[in-house]
Amino acid sequence: MRFLYGLILVIGLAALALAQGVTPAAMLKPSADVWLTYHGDYTGKRHSTLSQITPANVTQLKEIWRFQAGQQQIKGTPILVDGVIYITSPDNLWAIDARTAQELWHYTHPRNNAFHIGHRGVAVYKDSVYLTTPDAHLIAFNAKDGKMKWDVIIADARKGYWSTNAPLVVGNHVMVGVSGDFDNLPGQLKSIDADTGKTQWIFYSTPPPGVSEPQSGGATGGQMWMTGTYDPELNLVYVGTGNPTPVLNGPVRPGDNPWTCSIVALNPDTGKLVWGFQVSPHDTHDWDAAEVPVLVDGDFNGTPRKMVMQASRNGYFFVLDRTNGKNLLTKPFAAVNWAKEIDKDGRPIPDPAKEPSRDGVLVAPDESGGTNYRSPSFDPATGLFIVSAHDSYGVYFFKPDHGAYGWAGADYGVGGRSFLRAIDYKTEAIVWSHSIGDGAGSAGVLTTATGLTFTGDLPGNLMALRTSDGTTLWHAPIGRVGNSPITYQLDGKQFLVVGAGSSLVAFALP
Amino acid sequence: MTRIIGIASTALLAVSCLVAAQGRGGQAPSPASQRPPQTATPQTYTAEEIQAGRVRFASECGFCHGRDAAGGETGPDLTRSDLVAADLRGDRISGVVRNGVPQKGMPSFDLSAADLGAIVAFIHDQKANADTLGGGRRSVDVADLQTGNAEEGQKYFSGAGKCSSCHSADGDLAGIGNRFQGLALLQRMLNPRSGRPAPAPAKVLVTLPSGEKIVGPLVSRDEFSITMTDTSGARRSWQVGEAEFTVDDPLSAHYDQLGKYTDANMRNVFAYLQTLR
Repeated sequence: MRFLYGLILVIGLAALALAQGVTPAAMLKPSADVWLTYHGDYTGKRHSTLSQITPANVTQLKEIWRFQAGQQQIKGTPILVDGVIYITSPDNLWAIDARTAQELWHYTHPRNNAFHIGHRGVAVYKDSVYLTTPDAHLIAFNAKDGKMKWDVIIADARKGYWSTNAPLVVGNHVMVGVSGDFDNLPGQLKSIDADTGKTQWIFYSTPPPGVSEPQSGGATGGQMWMTGTYDPELNLVYVGTGNPTPVLNGPVRPGDNPWTCSIVALNPDTGKLVWGFQVSPHDTHDWDAAEVPVLVDGDFNGTPRKMVMQASRNGYFFVLDRTNGKNLLTKPFAAVNWAKEIDKDGRPIPDPAKEPSRDGVLVAPDESGGTNYRSPSFDPATGLFIVSAHDSYGVYFFKPDHGAYGWAGADYGVGGRSFLRAIDYKTEAIVWSHSIGDGAGSAGVLTTATGLTFTGDLPGNLMALRTSDGTTLWHAPIGRVGNSPITYQLDGKQFLVVGAGSSLVAFALP
Repeated sequence: MTRIIGIASTALLAVSCLVAAQGRGGQAPSPASQRPPQTATPQTYTAEEIQAGRVRFASECGFCHGRDAAGGETGPDLTRSDLVAADLRGDRISGVVRNGVPQKGMPSFDLSAADLGAIVAFIHDQKANADTLGGGRRSVDVADLQTGNAEEGQKYFSGAGKCSSCHSADGDLAGIGNRFQGLALLQRMLNPRSGRPAPAPAKVLVTLPSGEKIVGPLVSRDEFSITMTDTSGARRSWQVGEAEFTVDDPLSAHYDQLGKYTDANMRNVFAYLQTLR
């Protein structure tokens, strides 16, 4: 009898665990058979400890399945939980079997008129899947069958907001960002209650409507359209903020325009700013600092530090102490010519001669930046920060006729070349630089514990490089990779999953 | 009243033609003036089509091409596009939208015939509006670009800039100031690949293991293979290791120069090129 009770208890607990789905504890220590968040874990390293695929056998990788996800290029990260992959494109969410790519359910959002430029993926928590939509809704679905639980509006799409965001979940906070560069809109990050859909708090990177803050200089913008990272010990969320608006018209918004083009540290329970570091004070070149704030624990000049690292769109690599936002290192990783100095706080200060002008200025990088939303990766074994860099040039124009609304200027890229670069933050050196083609790259980076680096080049090859020296070990011409690769292990087999054009493709050893 | 305005404008036109002719040293007006290309075949669309197109365009195309089709984050100003000017009811635009232009980063779009038709209507309407207004709000006018010193530009061209190691004022660049003006000339100068017509591609010399040599224009190249067009017009590809290749790409000097120009150098060389008429 006691045995029976015990059995019932075990079954009961298992059922409870199943019903609970993704728990906060699981998100803090993701197992090998899941990819629970945009970056894989809260640190943003996009590094996996899986070790089945090695430099010795990587050439044997074979395509296992391919899933056609509509027509648009996949820019999002697939999320894997319970053997099910969730993959998105604007207005679309598919749940597919991670072993066979068989479609389990598909949600299509009602036709709408917001921008459909891309989508970065879903978030999961308990038994729910959270999807942002181009017209700035956040929708919660039942993970099992795609049944809608609730649908809330996070910003007014009629004003020019849209969303591509993969939310960041911490506890019961679903943090959602939006975009909106074509209109003068305040930057907002909203925390939504994971169970009810109710708004918990809103963090504004620039003053909300009706609020006057002289230090902002009158700037709007600073949208937080990329997924942040989280340190559970400090209970801080790190998010990159976008460029100020009007975009190219600097004179109309004097000063540094905080907190645009910044890394901000927020308390996830209150949405209060704990510290901010502006990587581009008074930006006039569309260089969002939305890139991944990667959390690394390690030695800096012989002292153990909790660091946050960002290779920013403005062409500079930053290392900060993430307990207080103090700068440890500022160093270019791509062609730059726009800063006149690095100030005492480690911020590159714009050269006024490189502000957009009536007769045009030649600036490095171009508007797409030294890098962009494509994820970098940090490899703990080598200490290398690996990023898809773009040495590029653009001509930037502004004259009063261009006005003070939205873009308010004109700019034209005139050439760029892309490289995968490995930065050693301890020596400040670029240890290797691997050419990946002309133009701006679109593929992010994944590193693994066996010393492999996965990414895609511009002509459309998926590649595996040796992390220590950047040597190519394997490639597969699968089409242009537009997202950042992920990896997981199911039934004892390590999978590598990556977007190729509008398909999602899985590789594994035979 | 109408007649008087007509006469007055004819007189103005005559004066401006005279000024233009003098400005060009008496040569015929160039085919690539600062005006956007003219629509080849007049076409009309209903207000409903245009309005439907405005909404669809903003949603699908606006991020890159601007909500007004006059250029955006990465896409060109469609109101000044040769392809749009040559288009008749979508016969050219549709293919570009459906297939994309992958080498320039434009994805393909799977749109219904009605949506595509509406988008085409909106683009043509925006072009007509822009032609009337003399350009979109993101315009860069020829007059904006007149801050350089042609004499200094000529010195840089033949001296520090080393432009004269490939180019000459009375050779390949003769009349360049007539063929391109304003922003188009500046883009052409900075990187010919960023403008149109497309410059000649790089040349490839392939040496096969047999010793046979094949020369032809480069089609594409990556870390693992190379594709070129041989003398018969056929495309041929080799994997790295199957043959030896040498690529002669003189235009890459333009990219290298981007890191060397000061803004003054850039404006001066531009001023100099404007004088080559």
